[in-house]
Amino acid sequence: MNLSWYWPTPNGKPPTIAILSIVLPIAVLTLTASTVDISYNKVFYALPRMLDFTQNLWVMPDWQYLPQLGEKMLETVEMTLLATALAVVISMPLGILAAKNASPHPWIFRMTRDLLSFIRALPELVWALVFVSALGLGALPGIMALSLVTVGFMGKFIAESIEVVDSKAIEGLEATGCTKFQSILYAMLPQAVPDFIGSLLYILDHNLRAASILGLVGAGGIGYDMVMAMRLFNYERIGMIALSIYAIVTFLDRLSDVFRQKAIGGILNAH
Amino acid sequence: MAYISLKAVHKTYPNGYCALKNINLNIEAGQFIAVLGPSGAGKSTLLRAMNALDPATDGEITIDGVTLNKKNYRKIRAHVGMVFQQFNLVDRLNVMTNVLVGRLAERSWLSSLFYLFPKMDYQIAEAALREVDLLDKAWSRADKLSGGQQQRVGIARALAQQPKLILADEPIASLDPKASEEVLKLLRKICSEKGITIIINLHQVEYAKQYADRIIALNAGWLVFDGSPEQLTKAKQAEIYGTTIEEIHHEPELVLAYA
Repeated sequence: MNLSWYWPTPNGKPPTIAILSIVLPIAVLTLTASTVDISYNKVFYALPRMLDFTQNLWVMPDWQYLPQLGEKMLETVEMTLLATALAVVISMPLGILAAKNASPHPWIFRMTRDLLSFIRALPELVWALVFVSALGLGALPGIMALSLVTVGFMGKFIAESIEVVDSKAIEGLEATGCTKFQSILYAMLPQAVPDFIGSLLYILDHNLRAASILGLVGAGGIGYDMVMAMRLFNYERIGMIALSIYAIVTFLDRLSDVFRQKAIGGILNAH
Repeated sequence: MAYISLKAVHKTYPNGYCALKNINLNIEAGQFIAVLGPSGAGKSTLLRAMNALDPATDGEITIDGVTLNKKNYRKIRAHVGMVFQQFNLVDRLNVMTNVLVGRLAERSWLSSLFYLFPKMDYQIAEAALREVDLLDKAWSRADKLSGGQQQRVGIARALAQQPKLILADEPIASLDPKASEEVLKLLRKICSEKGITIIINLHQVEYAKQYADRIIALNAGWLVFDGSPEQLTKAKQAEIYGTTIEEIHHEPELVLAYA
């Protein structure tokens, strides 16, 4: 038996692009590693302190804090749901305008795309700072910041899922003499529904975690309590907060798994 | 005056490929017309020029007294049904909605936005589904149906437009022989009973001879045959298909450009 091995290319050698895509990143990483100051010593000496912190977490929970925790967690979840719902309503038309095959004009497509990437350029926390300084402390600036960034992402996701829709159905509609608007409604959107649901569930998950730290800048939710507990070394509360965030994120994850299965299985038909 | 007339129609694709060369045709209303020719001969282009899905680059197409121009595409399409090789249904919508799509051209954007249709449209859609014998599948999802059934939904959608003309672009090329015959019989029946003109692209000469009133053949963009099924002799067939085989081998990329 001849044990010569070849790649499935005309000359039997690996394609140049494949070699480059492995060699280049390694080269870049090697060259830049020193600039970010990765020091093994630092990590090594920090270990005992990390251990210390973890040990401190093993304390009796502060049960008196429970009602406030519940209230703040509820606020966090409400912020997430409100911001996401608001963002979906706003990003639907923007996403359609930002899809190459649905946009009424190439310029509108370009401008909407640029607007969306501008919104995405800054993280929630920075937008929250902007809104807190304009509107004062509270959940409202947090919701606004969160839904703004979500519009940036959701709009892009919607546009991309519309762009990959099968063009045959669109052609089938256009041949009946309907308008572009009607072909968006009846051919593009129904076909993009599974993708929409996928991105929506991912964004809900992401937004819950984002909402839980917005309190850092005074924009509502559990984040403020978490930062205060950290600063005051209030270990009785830190553990409770971390656990409750974990519990809710996990719950949401399970829920979205069930939902996604149904959506793909076709139970959630557009009509 | 003929129901459809094509005068010196040319089609050149942006890549420079000339798919239709000086086509002159007159078609009477109510006829069943088969278009034959090898792959890449311009059959699909011819049909797609008639409803401006691929507008002709030169020449004049007149349907029912209206000459096609950039402004009246939608108006013409509203009463010209089209049936596709790949059915071109919206898979995730149910059969009824797919048929109601044929009514959209008559409906406002506002009612479309809410997926609302008047009772009249449901009656038209139901009649169309009864015509293709799929009324029992009205509320199934389109992609749950077999190929032959999906093509019949495609025909029902065309019927819902209440058309005077149906363009069928290789409607049986993706179907098995049994479903193919069903679809052809159905189109023939629609033509004979409702007087709807049907122009159909086919690969099978035998089917064309069996069902059509008139046969047109294209080869490399030229109109090479136009006559009754009886006039399409074996010698003529060899002429239609024979000469192009060489051309296809000489210019494979052009054939791919518009297969």
